[in-house]
Amino acid sequence: MLDKLDIAHLLAAIGRGERDAFDHLYHATAPQLLGVALRIVRDRARAEDVLQEAYTRVWLRAQSFDPAAGQAMAWLSAIVRHGAIDFIRRTPSARQVDEQYDGWFENLADPRDEEADMMSAAALRHCLGELDETTRAYVVEAYCAGLSGKELAERYKRPLGTIKGVLRRGLAALKMCLGENA
Amino acid sequence: MSDDLEMRAAEYVLGHQESAEREAVRREMEQNAGLRAAVARWERRLFPLARTAPPAAPSADLLARIKAGLPPRVETDAIVVALRKSVRRWRAAALVSGALAASVLAFAGARLLGDAGKPSGVYVAAVNRGGDAPALIVRVDMASGRVFVRPVSAETPAGKSLELWYIAAGAAPMSMGIVGAKPENLALPAGAVEKAKFAVTVEPAGGSPSGAPTGPIVYAGDLVRE
Repeated sequence: MLDKLDIAHLLAAIGRGERDAFDHLYHATAPQLLGVALRIVRDRARAEDVLQEAYTRVWLRAQSFDPAAGQAMAWLSAIVRHGAIDFIRRTPSARQVDEQYDGWFENLADPRDEEADMMSAAALRHCLGELDETTRAYVVEAYCAGLSGKELAERYKRPLGTIKGVLRRGLAALKMCLGENA
Repeated sequence: MSDDLEMRAAEYVLGHQESAEREAVRREMEQNAGLRAAVARWERRLFPLARTAPPAAPSADLLARIKAGLPPRVETDAIVVALRKSVRRWRAAALVSGALAASVLAFAGARLLGDAGKPSGVYVAAVNRGGDAPALIVRVDMASGRVFVRPVSAETPAGKSLELWYIAAGAAPMSMGIVGAKPENLALPAGAVEKAKFAVTVEPAGGSPSGAPTGPIVYAGDLVRE
């Protein structure tokens, strides 16, 4: 596994059109990114379609990655996660809202992480932990599983407006807890 | 920074909105650097949660499939074909490209180079490398905020349209419309500044169905403004 500096370098090389760098980036990142997509679309073939679209975007847009703006892996992950969410919003039938999700919040701050990652993960874990259990579940399931407000409403049998309000207050509380630049 | 902007960014990153709301935020991001920055901050804040996804091994042939579908890419330094800073030279470039366009021409791109001290510059790129798209003349007039695009070969690929995109750093490409067989005189987006880029892609007739580029890039160039 390449460290994140190498991933940023690979993105720069891809920005220059180097296909070898694209291969290296794929091998270094595809399993993690497929995991991100799979958790949302819940179907391997579709998750791979999402990945294909995402890597194509990476190929076209690598030049726009700014290392000063954040981690390369966060940039890649955002492309995949938003691609997966867009996909399921278009084709919601692939998913079920009554699935059991657990361990995502608990797995934050994996001890294998590098120190800087561990710090930001630990901060997020702390701040999510400050939320009440319901709010935390909504936030984590929306982010990790890509559940829409409507799907959360169905899953928790609450009005959509209530769900949206809880999420808004939860996000505001997270920002307060994490600080402006976290 | 407004709480409202911060909340729109947070909700977009969390991802629970419906497609129409997500599209609206993305459109706003194209124009609003503050919103882009807020989205980037939220992506960073919540990213540790993405890392809790258990890795999964992709199919053995996925990389090959992805690479087979990659559109051609402009290698910026290699594709500067002609770049002129006067109308007279632009006409000369048009003649050159017209001749080349007799054969089938591929994509090309050109960097629109800044010219220190002359913010009113007119930048002209003749786009004429081999492939399946017509050559183009692209002229950007920073003073008047106009982009003039003129295909110099006879036609767009059969059943296709050429679409011009404006791409601000870190933002999704924004369509500036279809480039027809006739010269087009288009407005630069409001706030068009440095770190922006233009690209022309080959799209299905009538333009990209999704609002985002789908076809091969036939032209791309950085816009550098003094």
